[in-house]
Parts: sequence; C-alpha cells; structure tokens
Amino acid sequence: MKRTTLAAIALAATVSLGLTACAGAAGPAETADAGGKTTLSVSVWNYEGTPEFKALFDGYEAAHPDVNIEPVDILADDYPQKVTTMLAGGDTTDVLTMKNVIDYSRYANNGQLQEINGVVDSLDKGNLAGLDAFNLDGKYFAAPYRQDFWLLYYNKDLFKAAGLEEPKNITWDQYAELAKKLAGTSADGKKVYGTYQHYWRSTVQAIAAAQNNGDLIGGDYTFARDQYNMTLDLQKSGAMMDFGTAMSQKTSYRTMFETAQTAMMPMGSWYISGIVAAKQAGKSNVNWGLAQLPQKSAGGNTTTFGSPTAFAVNKNAKHSDEAKKFIEWAAGAEGAKAIAKIGVVPALQTEDVTAEYFKLPGLPTDELSKAAFSPDKTVLEMPVSDKSAATDKILTQEHELIMVGERSVGDGIAEMGKRVKDEVLK
Amino acid sequence: MTTDTIQAAPPRNRVQGNRKQGNRKQARRNTLIGWTFILPNFLGFLAFTLIPVLAAFALAFMEWTSFSAPKWVGLANFERMLGSDSFWVALRNTLLYALGHVPLTLALALILAMLLNRKLKGIGYFRVAIFFPYITSLVAVAVVWNMLFSPDSGPINQFLQFVGVANPPGWTSSSDWAMPAVILTSVWRDMGYYMILYLAGLQAIPTELYEAAEVDGASAWQRFWNVTLPSLRPTTFFVVVMLTVSSFKVFDLIVVMTNGGPGRSTTVLSQLIYQEGIGEGKFGYSSAISLVLFLIVLTVTVLQFKLQQRRER
Repeated sequence: MKRTTLAAIALAATVSLGLTACAGAAGPAETADAGGKTTLSVSVWNYEGTPEFKALFDGYEAAHPDVNIEPVDILADDYPQKVTTMLAGGDTTDVLTMKNVIDYSRYANNGQLQEINGVVDSLDKGNLAGLDAFNLDGKYFAAPYRQDFWLLYYNKDLFKAAGLEEPKNITWDQYAELAKKLAGTSADGKKVYGTYQHYWRSTVQAIAAAQNNGDLIGGDYTFARDQYNMTLDLQKSGAMMDFGTAMSQKTSYRTMFETAQTAMMPMGSWYISGIVAAKQAGKSNVNWGLAQLPQKSAGGNTTTFGSPTAFAVNKNAKHSDEAKKFIEWAAGAEGAKAIAKIGVVPALQTEDVTAEYFKLPGLPTDELSKAAFSPDKTVLEMPVSDKSAATDKILTQEHELIMVGERSVGDGIAEMGKRVKDEVLK
Repeated sequence: MTTDTIQAAPPRNRVQGNRKQGNRKQARRNTLIGWTFILPNFLGFLAFTLIPVLAAFALAFMEWTSFSAPKWVGLANFERMLGSDSFWVALRNTLLYALGHVPLTLALALILAMLLNRKLKGIGYFRVAIFFPYITSLVAVAVVWNMLFSPDSGPINQFLQFVGVANPPGWTSSSDWAMPAVILTSVWRDMGYYMILYLAGLQAIPTELYEAAEVDGASAWQRFWNVTLPSLRPTTFFVVVMLTVSSFKVFDLIVVMTNGGPGRSTTVLSQLIYQEGIGEGKFGYSSAISLVLFLIVLTVTVLQFKLQQRRER
C-alpha cells in the first residue's frame, strides 16, 4: 500500500503545482478602488534608487486626496524589455514612464499609447524642454517631466591649486589645454587627471553631433573627426585616463570625480543629485562647480545634448482620464518643483523652477554654475527612428576600436558610415 | 544480499498463465507511477523549454516585433543572415572560442586530476581550491579578471614587463588579444569542474591494470598511454561533449568581460541572438540565428557520438 500512498502524494503535488501555475498566470490583481479612492498604477524603474518617482507620487497624492498611486517597480536594466512584454500581453497599467525616446517611438508607432494632444496643449509648451522629441507627425503620445543635459563638472580646489580661472564659456581647444595643465599630482601625492571622459560613445559622438549639426543615424560621421582627434590627443598626453584602462577596470565616473582624481568631467545633469547625496552622506568632500559644456568656437550660443524622460498613457489603461490628469500635473509647474527640490532637472525650465532648484542644500551657488544650468540649445542625444538601436550598436563597436587605437580616426569614421549604410540603411 | 535478490525474483516458469494478467496490470501501474514522478518536472520543461523552443523554430521563418501578429516571410531571415557580416564574424568568434576552450580545459582538467589523484597531505584543500572558481559568481570572476588583464596597471602586464616583455598585449582592450583573454578566464573557471569528473574516472580504474603493466615493465608514460587514457575514454567522451555544447552557448562571461568588444572581436552567436532579438526587437531574425546555432551544436554532437561508437566497435 505504501506505493499507492506515494503515487497519491506525487499526483497531488502535480495537480497543486499545476493549479498554482494557473493562478500565477491569471494576470495582475484588480486594483481595488477602496473608500472612493482611485488607484492609479504607474510603471517605474528602481523605485528605491530613483527618488524622483516618490517625490512626484507623494506630491500628487497630497494635492489629490482621492487618488492613490501604486508604482509598478521594474528592474532598471530590464525596463524596456519588461514593458514591451507587458504591453504585448495586454497589461492594464495606467501610466507608462518612457525611459528613453527610442522606446517611446516603438510603443507609439505600434499603437500601444494613447494620443494626449489635449494634455500637451494645456502645458507651457514654450518652456518644456525636450517636448519636440515626442512629436510624431503632430501627435503627442507622451509629455516630458524631466530633461537631462550635459555640462562640465569641475573641481574648484584643483583649479585653484593650479592657479587657473574657472572654465567659463570655454572652447574644446581651451578645455584640452586646461586638462593638460591640470594633470599631475595632488598635494597628498595622488595621481590627478586633467579630465575624465567616460567610455560611452556619446561622450564623443553625441557632443560632436549636437555642436556640428551632425546626424547620428545618417551614415556620414565626418562631423565627429575633431572631437575624436582632441580626445585621442588628451589620452595620449596622459591628461586623461586611457580608454582601455577605464573599460577593463569598469571605472566609475562618480569615483573619479568624488575622490578628486580628475579636475574636469563632462557628464549629464543627473549626476548633480548624485554628488549632493554623496556629500551629504559624508562620502565625498569635493569642492565642485558647474560650467557650460565646452563649445566648438567662442562667443556663440551654448549647445549641449541630452534626453528627456516622459509619462505616457497605456492604450489599455484602466483609468485613462486620471492618468492624463496626473501627466498634466507632473509635466507642469507643480511636478517640476516637486522633483527640482530633490535635485532632479525638470523638463519645465522657468525662472521659478530654476530658483527652486538652486534652493537645494549642497548645490554650488556661484554665478557660473547657475548660468551653466540654462544652455541655449539641447539637442536630442540620439534621433528617433526604428533604426536607432541597430545604428547605436555599430557606432559603439567602431567607437571602441578608435578609442583603443586599433583604427585611425579617418578609418574608423569611414567604417562607421560604411557599416551603417550596409547593415542598417540598406 | 545476492541470495535475497534471487529468492525475491518471481518463479516465472511455474505459475505463468494466471499471473500474466496481473503482471501486465502491475506494469501499467508502474508506468503510470513513473509518469507521475516525472510529470512535475516535465510540465515545467514543456511550458518553459520545449514549447518556446519549438515556437522559436517557427518564428525563424517569420517577422515579429512582439506587438503585431507574426508575418510569414519564408527564408528571408536566413538570406539576410547569410548576407550579414556580423553573423559571419560572430560565427568565426564562436568557433575560435570553442577551439581554444575545449582542448585547453580538457588537457588542464586531466593534468590536474592526475596530480590530485594521489595520497598527499592536504589533498582535500587542493581539490577544493581548484574547484572553487566553478562555484564562484561568474560576474565577480569576470570583473576581477578584467582588472588583472588591465593593459597599464593590471598585475598580469606588470608581471610580464617585470620578466622582460617590452610590449605586453593589450588583452581585453585589443581586438587580437581579447579572445585569448576570455578563453583563459573561462578555462580557469571550468577546469575544476571537469577535473572532478576526471578524478571520478581515474578512481574507477582498477589498480590491477597498473600492477600488471608494471610487472610487464611498462614505463610511467606507457602506463598513462596504454592504461589510463583508454580506461578514461567514456569520461573523456562525456567531457568533450559537455565542453563543446557549453562553448557554443557561451554568453554570460563574454557579456560581462568585454560585451563583445573591442569592436566585434569577441561577439559570439548567442550574444548576436540577444542583441538582435531582445535589443532590437527582431525576434524572427534572431530566432533564425538561434536555429542555425542549434543545428551546429546538434551536428557536432551527433558527429562525436558517431566517432565514439566507431571507436568502441
């Protein structure tokens, strides 16, 4: 009889496993609208480590007591894949955060998002940076609430020690000259680089494209020649950590700047809140300032590059109207102030918001830092197209070969163009 | 024990007729119980492996971006693949990796197993030390080796310069040396596991064979060549098959160490499948590449089985 019992247990185990599997596949639980409150679900990444979400949700809930926001937290690295899978499976999350513009165009062009022209029209369009990126033939399917752009971080103490003036409105030639002067040894005997350019391809290519009207998905990359030559020269002179070392050690740009191993660093504005947090936690005592991203020539407008983050309404949203109201609030002045308070750069750029931003304790308060905060023109990091992802891959591969010195600048740029034309544009 | 078994066996020739039916019933019940035991595992395999794999084979002939319905395109994906430079580069890199990884791991695992298959003080420690990389987190392994291979400040190149190599290789920052660096790391990681397999094989060789060989005056080398190696043939076959399959499927180590770079110098097929499918949403095209990878692995494995059969005959 023992065998029968065993068989019965096995069978029972199988059946119950099967049942739980079914229950698991039944989809997201209904959001309960308890006590007359509407529960609005919003997809976010790394909720704990991305404080802007909590700031926005808390702010909105305080202003709208009848709404309860429920974050749908997704691992940051898996975010685009996970949202794609959710949408393909008919998920009903109300608001979808658009982490980048390339994914946005994919979702919008595949009919996964609701048109929200009504919301966009009610916003302060003239001052909403990055809005253009969401314009698909006159239709908007998302509205930006955050817009990061690149500027130059510099270490005031190292500048002072070298007897140099603050890097105000400099050109790339002046930047290279400064980097070479700043490289050396610090007072306590540590090696100091003049500048640190992180190994991302955007550090060279997106800057070159923005300041030379280059098209990163166009198939001709001669516009990046000067920027590559300057970068390679800095690397060769030792004023900048070389690419191979940075890649193999997976160098952290934060460590480079926060431990004063570099005097300058071009980087995105998202890092501002990072430094502030590190200094508050006592992990860094760097005396830092912000300057405009160096330019091609002196005296003109400041052109930089960046990318917006936006909210969109899911085609299958359960609470479409509430979702639109939330977006209107988040992309408006209230939302902008809520995230400015914690050091995140809002898409809405008005004097009010900038003033709110610089109230944050720990921010540099000198005039140059404030001026750096309002560039004249912010070009989108990567043009939106269904070919962007494939092009990005090729540009990254050829960037690596140029930076490790295996291809000359001319050959590398020619190869980029050839491969993009052959493999993507054909 | 032996007597028990003999007694327990059913006295077949005496009560054949009336027990036949009972036997059949018993057999059916046994089968059913067997099925019940594997069912939980098999259901999981069916839902998460077999059906998706078959679906991927079908997708290889379609165009699908995960939002709209898949569209039948026949052999277009395969045509595109054969005309794509990236596919051939990845195929070449995968073969290069396998050619380096399989023989090196095999040889080192065997040598280590021979060294550690003797009575030695602290043998347990050495065995664990060699096996340890295999159970270490792969990401940690990749990051640490990356630092060791660092072109300027890495310990490996500093050592090479110390012993007089004027221009040490750039390892992961050089197209020519990135693949050897990846292979070295993976050999270091895997050799412990295969050493354990070889140790088991070595310990199954009867000592009488060695004693007889010694009496016949065979040298140590002759004993290795004529006793050890032939006795290890089943183990070697298993190790070669496992190693080959895992070499063709390599993904994680390369993604963390070089992410396929510099340029495309270490991009392998499984990584190309990931980039095209998950990265760019071309699920049909990436399924076509994975079908080709599957066929390559299948062919190589079948060949190995055929060779083994011929040798045994």
